[in-house]
Amino acid sequence: MALQGVRILDFTRLGFGAQATLICGCLGAEVIRVESTTRPDPIRVMPPYVPEPGEHGEAFGAATLANATSAQSANRGGIFYKYNTGGKRSITVDARHPRGLALLRDLVAVSDVVTESFAAGTLDRWGLGYEQQRAVRPDVVYVSMCGFGHEGPDTAHVTMGPTAQALTGLTFMVGLPGRPPAGWSFSYLDHVGGYLGAVAVLAGLFHRARTGEGQHIDVSQLEPATALSGALFLDALVNGRPSRRPGFPTGNRRPTTAPGGAYRAAGDDRWIVISCRTDDHWRGLLKAMGEPAWAADPRFATFDGRRAHADELDGHVEEWTSARDRYEAMRDLQAAGVPAGAVQDAADRLERDPQLAARGHFTLLGNEEVAPLPLEGLPVRLGRTPAHTGGLLHRGPPTLGRDTDAVLGDLLGMTEGEIEELRAEGVLS
Amino acid sequence: MSPSPPLDGVRVLELTDESAEYCGRLLAGLGADVVKIEPPEGSPSRRLEPFLDDEPGPDRSLAFWADNVGKRSVVVPGGPDGDAAVRRLATGADVLVHTLRPAEAAARGLGSEDLEALAPHLVVCALTPFGSTGPWADYEADDLVLMALGGSMAACGYGPGPDGTYDTPPLAAHGEQAWRTAATYAAIAVMAALWWRDRGEDGRGQTIDVSAHECSASMTEWHCMTYLCSGAVHRRGPHPTLTAADGRQVAALNPDFLGPHVFANMLTMLEAEGVAGPLSDPAFADPVHRAANYREVWRAMKRLAEAHDGETLYRLGQSAGLPWGVIRSPDEVAEDAHLRARGHFVELDHPEVGRRVAYPGAPFLAHGSPWRMDRRPPLLGEHTAEVAAEWGVSP
Repeated sequence: MALQGVRILDFTRLGFGAQATLICGCLGAEVIRVESTTRPDPIRVMPPYVPEPGEHGEAFGAATLANATSAQSANRGGIFYKYNTGGKRSITVDARHPRGLALLRDLVAVSDVVTESFAAGTLDRWGLGYEQQRAVRPDVVYVSMCGFGHEGPDTAHVTMGPTAQALTGLTFMVGLPGRPPAGWSFSYLDHVGGYLGAVAVLAGLFHRARTGEGQHIDVSQLEPATALSGALFLDALVNGRPSRRPGFPTGNRRPTTAPGGAYRAAGDDRWIVISCRTDDHWRGLLKAMGEPAWAADPRFATFDGRRAHADELDGHVEEWTSARDRYEAMRDLQAAGVPAGAVQDAADRLERDPQLAARGHFTLLGNEEVAPLPLEGLPVRLGRTPAHTGGLLHRGPPTLGRDTDAVLGDLLGMTEGEIEELRAEGVLS
Repeated sequence: MSPSPPLDGVRVLELTDESAEYCGRLLAGLGADVVKIEPPEGSPSRRLEPFLDDEPGPDRSLAFWADNVGKRSVVVPGGPDGDAAVRRLATGADVLVHTLRPAEAAARGLGSEDLEALAPHLVVCALTPFGSTGPWADYEADDLVLMALGGSMAACGYGPGPDGTYDTPPLAAHGEQAWRTAATYAAIAVMAALWWRDRGEDGRGQTIDVSAHECSASMTEWHCMTYLCSGAVHRRGPHPTLTAADGRQVAALNPDFLGPHVFANMLTMLEAEGVAGPLSDPAFADPVHRAANYREVWRAMKRLAEAHDGETLYRLGQSAGLPWGVIRSPDEVAEDAHLRARGHFVELDHPEVGRRVAYPGAPFLAHGSPWRMDRRPPLLGEHTAEVAAEWGVSP
């Protein structure tokens, strides 16, 4: 595997951060999660809970971290299973115990990379900040991932995905004209921040290979997002056309398509997206619709004409789609060469999407407490060094602390007796 | 010696439409020499609006600028001569990123097998809508189609009416987020493949197959897990938002999302602002009581919002440890004092149009190996002769 031989000591929690080490693990890096039994990663203990076989658990619903302690086990929090594939191992060490701190420093000394996603300054307070890491591992690559990063006037600010999405323009970019932004109902920037966290890990490794030097790379949840608005940013700053203007954002309407957008399909709140970018797409659409008479209207003869009369055109298209099953319409449109796709929810992706199934998008993985579930990893195929959702060891997400003894034995050469003594002292909690 | 970026000296050929250009932008920022191969009339993205001063022209597309900053441009002839030129350039490159389907790549002599024989050291990354295999491999898509199939659209939009039915459609974000996610994954995979090549025994590259659909399908957080755990399907609706006195909106999540300690800080702030009302009742110290009476918590937050402008409201929330954020448009982000202090925005000269243009810069701070951001987007064919001389191959 591509990153085989790279060892990451991983203090990340929640989504942003864990997404980064998930990617590294799927690429073959050895990822060792350092966890706590007294302060477990919140996504280990909050709903939705992975049910016992044959049962349905509690939905995410009104879950918050304040009422998350109701989980009976630190191994049933469902969101943990989204972010902790990649064959991550789990050890529990109390960083606030002097002997725990010493252990963690010993582990830093034998690791290539240290990753974390605590508030700025937390690792320093533990005695595990970059300077202390360097003291035991001079070329360590230290990648911190937190809301506003470690430098700048607002480093004390806290973010969750929706916070960062609001501040960086992502929330604004989802909405219909004349209405407040609808935004995203999930933390897109937990993912994006994590992708750039993985890029940071790789950048640090390349730099170390070239120069022999480590460094601290400071990843915030804001900067990975600023270029995601593409030309909107430049249109405002260069052309003086601010994004906050009447009629914008335009919902699903794009300058590149006409007709284009989401159209009602048969069924309860079912939709299909159609994107006609070219005259060929338009002709394909008409063919799939059975050459309707209204299409002869000369106003629809050119792309510019179709764009200028988009509302009327959309009405005609929706009349056709609303009587059709979204997947059948998608198939017929694609057969006619028209870009089209059903609006799929999570159940659709897991159960009805033949492409994801054929690509092996989901991998069945479980652990000692949880029966195998279809889990996601790195959605990219590398020909000679295939990524694996279970990482180097082809394992499911770890139960809390399952690898403590193995890691201390293998990496630090500790004996069973020494490990038992630490456990009795409360160091491994 | 001044620090150099991590991919300094890595040569990347880019033969893509707009769907994968963000990959090359990232690799260029990491220090790679990214050479964009263009036909004589220019890449399709040079014809995308908006244009500088709304006047079309191959060197005036702001969509092209946004995703091609930091690259060089080489023009090759159309047809077989151009494909031969790409093959020659490939022998001198470390990476080829393209957006060709397998059949088209093979027909042009740029298939995996052709390139492996010609340039065994080359890392080839093909980014296509659905990847090179599977029943949908030949299907057509744009970003909106991929946002639909991937699941984010189903989860984005306005909520249902009181009767539970939706009168507005699922919505996709602007900014081509499915393509950008796929392009980011492509950059990660390219880096990993280079890392492996440079440490392996045979120095060989490999072919990377990126399906934008799969990448798009991976970005909805807990939604698959919720379905697997409970059988419930996450449906669309906005996050809670406060409207401030100046009409600006502030994303204001339930404070208990971050843990039980946050409420006490919020209460102190609300009391100092004189809007705490019934929340001062000790019963609200209990998170279970708060959850059951969240309406009162929200009302106090609304009273606070009505007394302040959006920017102040955001900062008041943050002063109490609340993960609040004022909703900004993409361009309003350029005014953020924190990002400016981190040196995030970089101005580049465009002397041919007499402009100095600010771009979003480094996605993270790496002082040892800084982001490279010193080259404005290339004019069409600007570097054809230069690259030929430096690489020792004639396009």
